[in-house]
Amino acid sequence: MQSNNHAGKFARGGPGFDDAALPGPREAHERCRILVVDDDALVRARLAALLRASQFEVESADSAEDALRIMATTRCQVLLTDWLMPDMDGLSLCRNVRANSSDRYVYVLMLTIRSGREDLLAGLAAGADDYVVKGAPVEEILARVEVARRITHFGQALRSSKHENGRDSLIDPLTGAHNMRYLMKYLPRELERSRRYGHPLAVLSCDVDGFKQINDRYGRDAGNESLRAFVACAESCIRKDCDWLARVSGDEFMIVLPETKVHGAKRVAQRLREALASFPVVTKAGPVAFTVSVGMTAVEPKHERDGASKLEDVLRAADRGLYASKRRGGDHATAATVSGTRAAARGAQTGSKYDIH
Amino acid sequence: MTSTRHRSRKEFLQKTPSDGLEELRLAFHARLQSDRVHFATLSAALARAEESPGWIFQDLQFRAHKIRGGAAIFEIAAVEAAAFALEQAAICAVQSNANNTDVRVWASLEALVSLMGALDADAAPAQLPGPDHLLNTGAAKSLER
Repeated sequence: MQSNNHAGKFARGGPGFDDAALPGPREAHERCRILVVDDDALVRARLAALLRASQFEVESADSAEDALRIMATTRCQVLLTDWLMPDMDGLSLCRNVRANSSDRYVYVLMLTIRSGREDLLAGLAAGADDYVVKGAPVEEILARVEVARRITHFGQALRSSKHENGRDSLIDPLTGAHNMRYLMKYLPRELERSRRYGHPLAVLSCDVDGFKQINDRYGRDAGNESLRAFVACAESCIRKDCDWLARVSGDEFMIVLPETKVHGAKRVAQRLREALASFPVVTKAGPVAFTVSVGMTAVEPKHERDGASKLEDVLRAADRGLYASKRRGGDHATAATVSGTRAAARGAQTGSKYDIH
Repeated sequence: MTSTRHRSRKEFLQKTPSDGLEELRLAFHARLQSDRVHFATLSAALARAEESPGWIFQDLQFRAHKIRGGAAIFEIAAVEAAAFALEQAAICAVQSNANNTDVRVWASLEALVSLMGALDADAAPAQLPGPDHLLNTGAAKSLER
């Protein structure tokens, strides 16, 4: 088996990694689009011409309602709105925008002829970020819009950074697999989904046999390559975009198999063990052969007494299976039942393990 | 950007538009003339509306506000100020349930219409038909000034 460094290439399955649904780095490079809202067509046209000349992309709306329709379909970073308009006024538009604010902030700049201090305060209270009185020099209007561009750009950069950090915080940098944080975040969700829809869910606890000896004999680099190879091998044995695995400690991994009963988990464990046994990992220190011990458990809500398995019980059951495999000398896969289930009750009555390979 | 304050329509027409902005300015000036005609109509209605001129004051307020905003954007400070005066006068008239002889409204209306007319040298002077019974009032005298 050729060791591949997958760290940073993530094609990891599992929930929470839909790139298209999250703001990414691309957003930071978008041109600033301004939505000009004014019921006066000539004012709209004048402002649009000024803004286009300053390299902004411009959309325009003749009413607040029209503005909301445009914003529902077109990403606009800045809203430049008049106050007094037929039907919905600029203040109401501001409040609407703020009430519907998503993770993408819209910078609102009110451009109105109302110049009173109370008007300004009302505009800001309604959610406007800035307030310019019509009649201010064009240079001032453009300067304020430039501030809006700067702030929205900064916000986008922050969101992109947060997005990247969010990804990094859920990824094991060595192997590129998910990490313990991801497991503790998403396994409860998988369990909840399993309980709600009555679908089975299997969890495998895997431990590389003799990992300390690999490190001692071949060096840490070879040990790290072995871990990466294990991840690549495990990923080839599970369903893409559905099953997922996480590294939970040095040489321990959890594999989560939604919609899978214990028999399906057994097949995955078997495939994994066979795949690892087939090829030694090629490292710089030479070929490294290793095996894996697997503990597995499955929850099947339809057959459970209380219909809900706790996260701790599931992890404990998988670990019980893993310890049983280790006790048998490693390179084994052992299924264990989750406490509180009918299967566990049957096992307690008969005093037998659910299943042992 | 070149200021257009106090510039007549002839001056605008003499200037060759270098970009879309000049065309927009011309369009705004044309609209001011249209508004001027409308004000003349409104003033006639106001002169006749002895009982309930409230809706006329509100219409004057709305139109003055719109002109004020446009004039500010197109940098015609005099029109902006005159429209502001009319807007404020109309607001006061509405709030005080003034009748159709409200001096402040008539004065500010006259001032704005005159100014709009001055912007268009070729345009016929606006006819503001004040009510006959105003001829002997202070309002009429203020209009004459």
